[in-house]
Order: sequence, then C-alpha cells, then structure tokens
Amino acid sequence: MSSLKELQYLIHEKFGIDPAELTPEASLREKGFDSLALVEFLFAIEDHFKISMSDEDSNIDTLGQLAAAVDEIRARAPLSKTA
Amino acid sequence: MNEPVAITGLGVVSPHGDDPQAMFAALLRGDSALQPIFPELPKPAAAATVAFDAGRWFTKLQLAGVDRVSQLAVAAADLAMRDAGEPTDLDHERIGVYAGCGMGGAAALEAAYRSGNVAGGRVPPLTIPAFMPNAPAAHVAMRQHVLGPVLTYSVACASSAVAIAEAAAAIQRGDIDLAIAGGSEALIVPGVVLAWQAMQTLAAFEPDDPHGAARAVRPFASARSGFALGEGAAFIVLESAERARRRGARVHAQLAGWGISSDATHLTKPDAPGQARALRAALRRADLAPRDVGYCNAHGTATRIGDVVERDALAQVWGDELDALRVSSTKALHGHLLGAAGALEAVVTVLALQRGELPPNMSGGEIDPACAMNLVLEPGTRAPQLRAAISNSFAFGGTNAVLLFTRA
Repeated sequence: MSSLKELQYLIHEKFGIDPAELTPEASLREKGFDSLALVEFLFAIEDHFKISMSDEDSNIDTLGQLAAAVDEIRARAPLSKTA
Repeated sequence: MNEPVAITGLGVVSPHGDDPQAMFAALLRGDSALQPIFPELPKPAAAATVAFDAGRWFTKLQLAGVDRVSQLAVAAADLAMRDAGEPTDLDHERIGVYAGCGMGGAAALEAAYRSGNVAGGRVPPLTIPAFMPNAPAAHVAMRQHVLGPVLTYSVACASSAVAIAEAAAAIQRGDIDLAIAGGSEALIVPGVVLAWQAMQTLAAFEPDDPHGAARAVRPFASARSGFALGEGAAFIVLESAERARRRGARVHAQLAGWGISSDATHLTKPDAPGQARALRAALRRADLAPRDVGYCNAHGTATRIGDVVERDALAQVWGDELDALRVSSTKALHGHLLGAAGALEAVVTVLALQRGELPPNMSGGEIDPACAMNLVLEPGTRAPQLRAAISNSFAFGGTNAVLLFTRA
C-alpha cells in the first residue's frame, strides 16, 4: 500500500503542482514549499486519510519520505469502514 | 515649510476594478458597485465587493495561509510599483511599507470559528498568520523585497490615511527614499456583516427594489441611513520631489500637507472641533489657506450624525468661503472600505486633481439642510481650475486624518 499517488493527487488539487513535476525524490522545499505551506499540506493529508501526523513529520523533505510516513501510520491504524 | 512629497505610483484593487483611470471614470459617471449580499441573512445586506483573480499574483502554493486581505494588498501594491515605473535605483533598506488595516483576515477568522465550533471540526493551522492585521504589510514587503520599516496602522476608518501621512513624514525626515503606502480591507463575511448590522450604522434598503442596494447609501441626504461595507486595497508610491525629478518619474500629484488629530471625547461619536483641528493642521503644513482648496473628498459615511458633524467641521474652518469648496462623498459608489478607505479615496482625490474632474455625491434625493454645502451633485463635473484638494478620514476611536494634495 503506497500513498504516493494519492499524495501527488492531493498536491495537484491543493497547490496546482503537476504530479510529473513532483517525483518521490524531489525536495518539497525546492519545489517552493516553505514550512507554512508544508504545515497546511500535512493538515490536508490528515483530513484526507483520517490520520494524525506527528510534529516530526513537518521535518520531512521529499514526497517519498512523506508517503512512507503516511503508509506507516495507515498500517498501524485500522482502516475505518467508510474509508 | 516642508517640501511636498511626490506621488509617483497609484495602485487599486477596488469594487470598480484595478485600473485607476477606469475606476475614476466609473465614479465620475456615478456608477454604484453596491449590490445585495448574503441573502441567507435575516436582514438584507449590501456591499461593494472586488472581482479578484488571485492567480494573477499568486500560485496556489503561495496562497497557503494568505488571507484575501493580504492578497488584495499584494496586488494593489504591485500595481502601484508598476505604475511608478518599477524604479530600479533603489536601496531596499531605504524603502518602507506603511499599510492601514482595520480588521485583518476576517475570512480566515470566520472559517476558523465555523470549522472549530462543530463536533470533530478542526481549525486550519495557519489561521493566526492569515488573520493577523500586519500580514498584508508583511506580504507586500516580501513581494517587493522591502528591507526598511514595514509598519501597520490600525486606526479604524482612518487607518490608511494615517499610514500615508506617516509615510510622507518619514520621507520628509529623510528616513527612507521611497514608501509604498496605503491599505487593504476584506471583511465581507457573514459574521462581520452581522456585527456591523448590530451596530446600526448600515444603510437600510428595500430588497425588492432592483436598484435598492445600489442606491442605499445617500451621503448628506435627508433620507440617509448609513453606509455599506466595501472591500479592496489601494496603495500609492511616495518619494521626495527631488528624487522623483532626478529619476524622471511621472508625478500624479503632490502630498503637500496632512493633519492628524484626536477628539478625545467619545469612542464612536464624531466631534466637529476634533475634525476641524485635523483640517487646520493639514492646511498649516501645506502653507495654504482654505480658499486655495477647491475640492474635498468627504468622509461622508451617510450616518445621521456623521455627515452633519463633518459639514460643521468644514464650516468652522472654511467659514464664509465654504461655498467655494466643492464636496462629495464617493462612499455611495464604492462603499466604506474602512481600513482601506483613506487610501482608496486618496487615489480618487489625486485623480480628481490630475484630471480636473470631480466625482459626484450621489445623494438620491433632497439634501439635508443641516448638511448644506456646495456638493458635487452632477456626474461628469469639470473643475479645470482645481489646484488643491483634501481627503477626509474620521475614525471610530476619535482619530481624524486629513490628506491635502496639490497638482503636480
């Protein structure tokens, strides 16, 4: 289960960045995410996946790392029936 | 006497669009931008809103945590700098931003209340940086790379007039070379409209009348019943006359004087002696006599008491020469932009001087005898002899600001 595709979709929807531009290895900061934009994105991720990210996740720099963190949280939490 | 400060750039994001000349032309015709808003509210409400395309100034990524009030400010300040010819000879530590704002990011705050007050609701994490009242100034500074003083003036309806006066003073002192000064306001959200309705200061109108909202605000008229809210931003670029000459900048007009006073009498009730002190201070600083000033863009909020007090203040200072002063309040057309009102009306006043034309006071009926003045009642009024004009901004809290402009 990888959240990568969904995260790329979310970024496209919320920030208008084309998935092709945002590879798993690319630095989010270099793509224009400052710390505030990242905080807002984490909030959107929490809403989308119905999960809770930790404060340390705001230090993440690539989409690949972010997808791995989301995957790990989703693996730990039982999926809700409506998800 | 201090040398006048040159106005070399104008930028507006207004209910009448973002082209200052087109905006002025619409005002000159007497076109009202007021329309009904929020039909779901128990009492009818009208406001003048801005058709704003944020995508012209921001990527979606850049919009994270940026409230509309800051978006409008960034756009208007950018337009002002472009109009000033985007000067390239700048020491960025010697540029300042002087921004007026009455409330800050009302939409961000309203969204937080709404989402946070329902079960399981969550408040967006950037609510605080979005709504803080100095966010517009900070966003303008980041966009224009301003490294000098970046200051916010929150003085209710006088905010941006005070900001412009403070900017001019900083230029005259030699603190800075160039100022981006003005203000922004964006509070047309249901919660804020309800609060203003509760204050009993908004104009009543007949919702079934198709022109009811557009003609609701009637400054100085017998039938006046208050103002309507407006949103928008306006910034001007100020620099010393000498600097403007040196770089060959086009000068729209000069800020020759300003006056700031306090009533110190009542939080919301205006006071003619306090307003008269600001008017006299502006004349004194510009070294002009009342008869030298041909036009007054009035504060003119069309409240029962406010219009009479403003007329009395003008009469106290102008005396027998009151009839020579043409007066109009343009709030009937663009609404009351509160923290941005002083800046928007400063731009209107500058354009009146530059073009020798006076925007009308659309009173929509008989003038209150207690407000008798030489009001500009006809659209398209010419004033080719106009040499100096003032713009009045009188705030809740008792602070009065008068800006006095002279033809370049």
